[in-house]
This record gives sequence, structure tokens and C-alpha cells, in this order.
Amino acid sequence: MKRVLIAALLLVAAPASAEDLVSGISQDTIQITSNYTGTDIVVFGAIERAQGAQGRGIVVVVRGPDEPMTVRRRDRVAGVWVNRDAAQFEGLPAYYYLASTEPVARIAPAETLRRYGIGLQSLTPSAIGSHHDPEPFRQAAIRYHQRSGLYAENPGSIDFLSETLFRARVPVPAGVTRGQYNVEVYLFRGGEVISAQSTPLFVDATGLERRLFNMAHNAPFFYGLACVFMAMLLGWISSVLFRRPA
Amino acid sequence: MELYLPVAELSVNWLLLVALGMGVGFLSGMFGVGGGFLMTPLLVFTGIPSTVAVATTLSHVTASSMSGALAQWRKRAIDFTMAGVMLGGGVAGTVFGVWLFSAMRRQGQMDLIVALTYVIMLGSIGVIMLRESLASLKAYRSGVTISRRLVNRGWIQALPFKMRFRQSRLYISVIPPIAIGFVVGALSAIMGIGGGFIIVPAMIYILRMPTNVVMGTSLVQIIAVTAITTVLQATSNYAVDIVLAGLLVSGGVVGAQLGVRTGAKLRGEQLRLLLACLVLVVGAGLFYQLVARPADVYSLSEGVP
Repeated sequence: MKRVLIAALLLVAAPASAEDLVSGISQDTIQITSNYTGTDIVVFGAIERAQGAQGRGIVVVVRGPDEPMTVRRRDRVAGVWVNRDAAQFEGLPAYYYLASTEPVARIAPAETLRRYGIGLQSLTPSAIGSHHDPEPFRQAAIRYHQRSGLYAENPGSIDFLSETLFRARVPVPAGVTRGQYNVEVYLFRGGEVISAQSTPLFVDATGLERRLFNMAHNAPFFYGLACVFMAMLLGWISSVLFRRPA
Repeated sequence: MELYLPVAELSVNWLLLVALGMGVGFLSGMFGVGGGFLMTPLLVFTGIPSTVAVATTLSHVTASSMSGALAQWRKRAIDFTMAGVMLGGGVAGTVFGVWLFSAMRRQGQMDLIVALTYVIMLGSIGVIMLRESLASLKAYRSGVTISRRLVNRGWIQALPFKMRFRQSRLYISVIPPIAIGFVVGALSAIMGIGGGFIIVPAMIYILRMPTNVVMGTSLVQIIAVTAITTVLQATSNYAVDIVLAGLLVSGGVVGAQLGVRTGAKLRGEQLRLLLACLVLVVGAGLFYQLVARPADVYSLSEGVP
């Protein structure tokens, strides 16, 4: 929320003569249907009153809803790997994708990046529950999401269609969480954000998937009965179909 | 070919899962077991979260047991009194098992408990079956018929609350069947199995039920326990995925029927030897995962307890 406010303030504060940014996304909702296997959205933008590529950086960030998570560390106990220490994090996103014109460390100093939450290393939990040093656990959470394709940092992946027109392709894999996502586009010059835009993106299940998910959570008893009934029915049908003519 | 599973929240190749259901169903039809002990680890290997795998495999077991039980019912080979008494313990065991499952999940020890229970159960059952089938194969070759050593039933006869089980021609205490039912119910919730590979030997060697009613009665017991566990898992852990269940069951019931036909052509000792090897391979695989250094010692789960 804080970041959105900062972005909004910047937009208002930008002087009329300065470079400015206009951006949009190819679709503002992603529907998870039964054959959903992940999709790409395209974030595009234009720089108004462009003043040359020298010293300019563009960063596109797509951030998923916050997801509370527990990271556990296994240790060997009597020869068996057992979960021992744990850390709970709140305020880390379920999805984070970053595209930029060059590695973000070259675009702006670390402190600026941290303030805007730009880059995987800037992802900091809002609340930590742990008896241990949380840093290795945080690194593990980032690693885990990178492995499942939910966190990614992709420098140099912004295509320029002309001097001022650019686009970035953002993969949204199958394992994404439902909820409100935010697409943020930042324009940097000289290591400072001079313009930024934020657009919401909604990821939701539709049709049967949504109904089944809702039913599993709102009417779990009948959902369970439905599963049992289906299993018994299929078992019965198969025994009738395959019964050998006596 | 990809299908989105609404509860597991991931996309899977549905053909692969139908084939998996069919393969496990084939083996379960051939060996006369529910197949839960194979299905749960295989689902975990394909990337399904283990909570969903455990809770959803139960439906597969319900379905394959259903078609077996109907066949036994037509032969009037089911002792419903015995099944009812065992179920008394089964319900209590299931409730306990699901409670333990939820508690372990909060502690982050669910995977460990599931894997440990599997390794212990599969390891011991596999070794027992292997020795038994090798001994009877040897006996068969040398032309000797071995008479099974009878387990001393003294302590069971001494227990109170006796009851008559007409179909099984037994007059025994209700305590052992209830206890067996409880253990199987609890294991069913933790391991996602029907428990046939425990009930059947227990009925034969502990309760001394006549073998002709053992199959049908155990299947009825398994249907009831897996049905109750499915509903409990759905209400307390939200871990049952109906789409996944549908895929597994569709493949499973077809595979089971084919398996029964193939099994009829093989001899009992050979079947048990094959099954013993299968059980030991799965057990060894799970054991290896427990003791091998994991690729990443950190693991992540959604939610904070």
C-alpha cells in the first residue's frame, strides 16, 4: 500500500516538462479455467517527452497478493531428516516478477530499490515469527518460489518497439494464487524514480473450478459426501459393466 | 491434456493420472488389495502435495473396494455383523487419525509421520510376505504341503463381551475386532489407505475368520472407513480434490477389472511374491527419501500456524 501511495505522489509531483510514463496491460483479469496451464500477459508503456536512453532505466514489477508462509529447516536426527527450526513470514508476495532494462543494481542504489520493493533481494516480510536468524529462512523462501517459477527477476527483458514505446512479457504460471495482483512500472533517471504507474490485475477461477473450490471450503461436508458418492457410483458401474455373462 | 485441480491448485496431465489410476487399479485387482499404499507415494512423486494425496487416494480405494464388495455380496460372502462391530472401532480410529493428521500438519511433521508410517508398515509387511511366499513356493516345488501353524487363541477367548458372529461361525469377544478397526481407521487417515493389507491378515490370523468371508467383510469395512475418512478430511483439512479423485477413480475401476482377470491366471504364491517385492521397492524408495540429504534442507508451506 505504502508503495502505491509513493507512486501516486510521484505522479502528482512530476513537473510538466519532465519525462513521463504511460502504461497498460494486455488483460486486466486472468481467468483460471480447467485447461489453465499458465499464460503470458504483456505490459506495455510509452515514455512521453523522452530525453534519451542514457541514464534511463525502466522496471516492470508484477506483484501477487501477500501470502503468509512457514519455512522449515530440516536437520538430521538419528539418521532421518526431520523438520526442526521454523520461521513464519507475513507480507511476502505469492508471486513476484520483475523485468527491467538492465540489472536493477545498476539502475538505482540498493536503498532506493528497497524503498520501492524492487528486486527479489528487496522483498522483506512485514512480520517475522522465529527464534532464529530469519535471513537464511527468507533466502530459502525466495529460492523456493524461484524454483516453482513464482518469483523471477529478468533483467534485459524489456523490448523497445521504438525510441519511446516498450513492452515486457510476464509469464503467469499455473501455480498462481487467486487474488489481486499489481502491475507496477517505474521510470528511473539517474538512480531516482521520476515516474511510476500501478495497475491492478485480477486472477480468479471461473466456472466449475470456482464452484468446486468454493464448495470444498464452504460446504466441506457435502463436498466430501459428493466425493464418496462419486467413487461408489463409479465402482458400482464398473462392476456392472464388467460382470461376466454367467 | 493439462487439467487444473481446484483444491490442489495446480495443473496436471490428466492422461497421466488416469493411467496412474489404471496401473494401481490393475495391481490392486490382481493382488486383491486396495492399492492406497501405492497410490499415495506415487501421487507425491508426481508433485501433488502430500496432504491432498493422502486425502484423495481414499476415494480411489472406496471405488475399487466397491466393485470388489459387490461381487462378494452376490456370493453372500459378507459378515455384516463383524463389519459393523469393527466399524465401531474404525470410526473412533478415523476421528483420532484425522485429528493427529491436522496436529502434525500444524507442527510441520506431517510428511515425516506419513513417510515413517509407510516405511515401517511396508517394510514389515513386505518382509513377512516375502518369507511366507518363498517358503510356500519352496514347499510347492518339493511337493510338501505345509500346515500353517495355528496362533494360540487363548488370550482372545479369555476376553469379555462375547458376541456371536453367525456368518463367520465365531463366538468371540468384541474387543479384538474393535481394536483392529481402530488401528486400521487411524492408519487410513494418516496414510490414505484402506488398510486391506492389515485387516485381511488380522481377520485370518487373529480373529480366525473363515477365509471365504474375509475378503467380502474386509472390503465392506474398507469402504466404510475410507468413506468416513474422506468426509472428515474434507471438513477438517480441505484436502480432498474431487477432480483428482474423479481421474484416479475412472482409471482405477477399469484397471481393477483387468487386474482381476490377469490375477486369476497366476498362482497365489507367485502373486504374493510379486506383491511382496513391489511393497519392498516402494518402502525402500520412501526410506531413501527419509535418510538421503534433501536437495534443499529448507521447505516451505503456506500459512502460519
